[in-house]
Amino acid sequence: MLLDIFDPKAPPKAVGIDLGTTHSIVATTRDERPVALTTCDGTALLPSVVHYGEAGQVVVGRVAKSYATREPQRTLASVKRFMGRGAGDAETERLSAYRFVAPKDEAEAKVVRFDVGGRSVTPVEASAEILKSLKQSAVDQLNAVGGCVITVPAYFDDAQRQATKDAGRLAGLHVLRLLNEPTAAALAYGLDKKQDGLFAVYDLGGGTFDITILLLDDGIFQVKSTGGDSALGGDDMDRLIAEEMLTKMGCASAELHTPELVSIALDAARQAKHALTDQSTVEVQLPQRGGGEATYVLDRPHFDELIAELLERTGRAVRRALRDAELTAESIDGVILVGGSTRVPRVRSYVGEIFGKEPLADIDPDLVVAYGAAIQAELLSSESDEILLLDVLPLSLGVETMGGAVDKILPRNTTIPAGAKSTFTTYAENQTGFDLHVVQGERELAKDCRSLARFTLKGIPPMPAGMARLEVEFFVDENNLLKIEARELTTGISQHIEVQPSYGLSDEEVEQMLIDALDFGEADLEARRLTEARVEAERMLLATNKSLATETDLLSADERARIELAVAELKSAIASAKKPAQIQLRIDSLDDATHEWAGRRMNRAIKSAIGGKVLGDVEQSVEHAQGVEAHLRAHGHLDTEAGSDG
Amino acid sequence: MAALEARHRELSRALHPDRHAGKTPAERRHALGKAIEVNDAFRQLKNPLARASALLASLGHAPVDGQEAKPPAELLMDMMEQREALAEVRQSRDAKALDALTASIEARRDATLSALAAVFAEPGTLSAPRAAELMGELRYYARFLEEAGAIADEL
Repeated sequence: MLLDIFDPKAPPKAVGIDLGTTHSIVATTRDERPVALTTCDGTALLPSVVHYGEAGQVVVGRVAKSYATREPQRTLASVKRFMGRGAGDAETERLSAYRFVAPKDEAEAKVVRFDVGGRSVTPVEASAEILKSLKQSAVDQLNAVGGCVITVPAYFDDAQRQATKDAGRLAGLHVLRLLNEPTAAALAYGLDKKQDGLFAVYDLGGGTFDITILLLDDGIFQVKSTGGDSALGGDDMDRLIAEEMLTKMGCASAELHTPELVSIALDAARQAKHALTDQSTVEVQLPQRGGGEATYVLDRPHFDELIAELLERTGRAVRRALRDAELTAESIDGVILVGGSTRVPRVRSYVGEIFGKEPLADIDPDLVVAYGAAIQAELLSSESDEILLLDVLPLSLGVETMGGAVDKILPRNTTIPAGAKSTFTTYAENQTGFDLHVVQGERELAKDCRSLARFTLKGIPPMPAGMARLEVEFFVDENNLLKIEARELTTGISQHIEVQPSYGLSDEEVEQMLIDALDFGEADLEARRLTEARVEAERMLLATNKSLATETDLLSADERARIELAVAELKSAIASAKKPAQIQLRIDSLDDATHEWAGRRMNRAIKSAIGGKVLGDVEQSVEHAQGVEAHLRAHGHLDTEAGSDG
Repeated sequence: MAALEARHRELSRALHPDRHAGKTPAERRHALGKAIEVNDAFRQLKNPLARASALLASLGHAPVDGQEAKPPAELLMDMMEQREALAEVRQSRDAKALDALTASIEARRDATLSALAAVFAEPGTLSAPRAAELMGELRYYARFLEEAGAIADEL
């Protein structure tokens, strides 16, 4: 897999993957145009369904789907709705054919586990099966696959993103980036139309709804705001119809809902919904409890009425996103439709009503996200400097304060990468530990938000209450993933905290899955790590040599000698190392030797970018703004923190 | 504001981690650090209150934290009434009334912002207490609008 990177015959191609609730797609670029690759089903769309056979075999796609009504408990569909969710999450209570494994302890309860015929399967593992199949299709057609970009709903929280990244890792993919689906769609449209302006992307998929407002300006795609609902989509339409059907069949009460029956009803509901895209009425023959058949009739007006509430929820999210972007519906230049559910005629007319203009749907709404992902994968691999995506944090990040309220550290729709500091103090005499609870969401109380991590800062020296100054720093990287650092300021004790996610899988669990899934022994895993370390080292040598060739003017003779020594040592480590740590050690010393030089090169790059303006000006305004923020925060007057005391 | 946004895009073009994906880890760290700083500054400068505080401080005035300037009694009374109206709207779930209420406060906020801009237009004769007073007003409007937004999400 990774060794293919050095295969001289076939340069690896970067791919984009849309890991969808109902369908998944893999795409690449050919002559700078996106193309979808054929999956194992012979079509571009691979149903996101995984079937676990009795003999232990795993199949995905159309074949797996054909088992859905016969063996519903062994067949997982819509697993995306469970990504990053814990056992007992509201999602597990909804109408579905699944059985879940009851968690044995608190650690197990962090992740939903499906019971597939006695075998316990996490959503991450099921998603990895889909990704593996797509990867195989790509390898078959491209010879070698380089990095990949996987799309996620913009509204996915940190736990859901981590889970998606874990699935990519488990499938043996080199994940370059997690890209927000609406941003991907905008990228595909923007490059197609080459037109600047304000765009709204209305993305209603099988299980998620996203709305994103963005500005296209000379190759920069800047997300202004994003919003949505990670548990709202076409599946919910199916459920509403299925419930009516079950009533018609005389099986309204929940005790009668066997997995087979629910699966049949959901399937019939989906077909009825699809039929209504082109017809005005659909009739379905349904078996009745106690024998006989019943006819269920669904027409457009009634269907429109059924889904009116769902659409209203999307409308609310649209209005909020516009408000966050400080824009009105009229100022939007174009509305882009994404997701299979936007084929529903009422959805289209509803979007038209909100924005007062006909939405764009000339790129296939099922493929447009994968196209965008393929374009981004290519851009990242080729380091193009014409296009840049500036994305935002979808949900506010905060910490729980005394009394269970939330202190927002980074508000939603902050451009990423982002960082913020917050200072806390002890509340008891001689307190040596400090508990921090990190949450994500917009609600005022921590218990109503998503819990991301809980940890304790230990080793605070005993001192009177209120004397310790605990500084906690949050970083959100370009993948929208969170890292936290904490230090105690009066003593300078610094701790880098390993954040154990409240939801999701630990690193050890993912490692174990890798061993299980790929049938790796411990030794094989070590060999694989060694290969990965070599690849990383080669990358680093390449980058260093490139800079040595062009930017030696920023380097003293001493530094140069040190770097060349580190380069030579790394080269010999690549050739002779038996353990990955031996290479890592040399990577670290080269990194150390080039550190200051890199800073100088960066400053020069910035100076040239800002066209003669002195960098000091920029830095000063940055520091200034931070000083202001710290001050406002200390006095509780930052308006994101405004409580009910006004 | 348009100039600020253009500047932010320009700096992002140079600093965004995507621009440095193939570089050494040290370079990536530097770029990431700078990109975070720029985004942080952008976030602060976009917020009129934070921007006004920064401006005051840069002109050598004492920082404004909203404590020293007691809001005029009329404003307090008025905002209390507006809040009651907001609570009623929440009860009656009247979206039209909420929109009207929001629009009226937005108009007042915009007027206050213009007045604040006028105060800053002449740095030589700038009255810091007057600026602080207007900023206090803005704070009330901002809180009100945030709550109105939360209610709009509920309706």
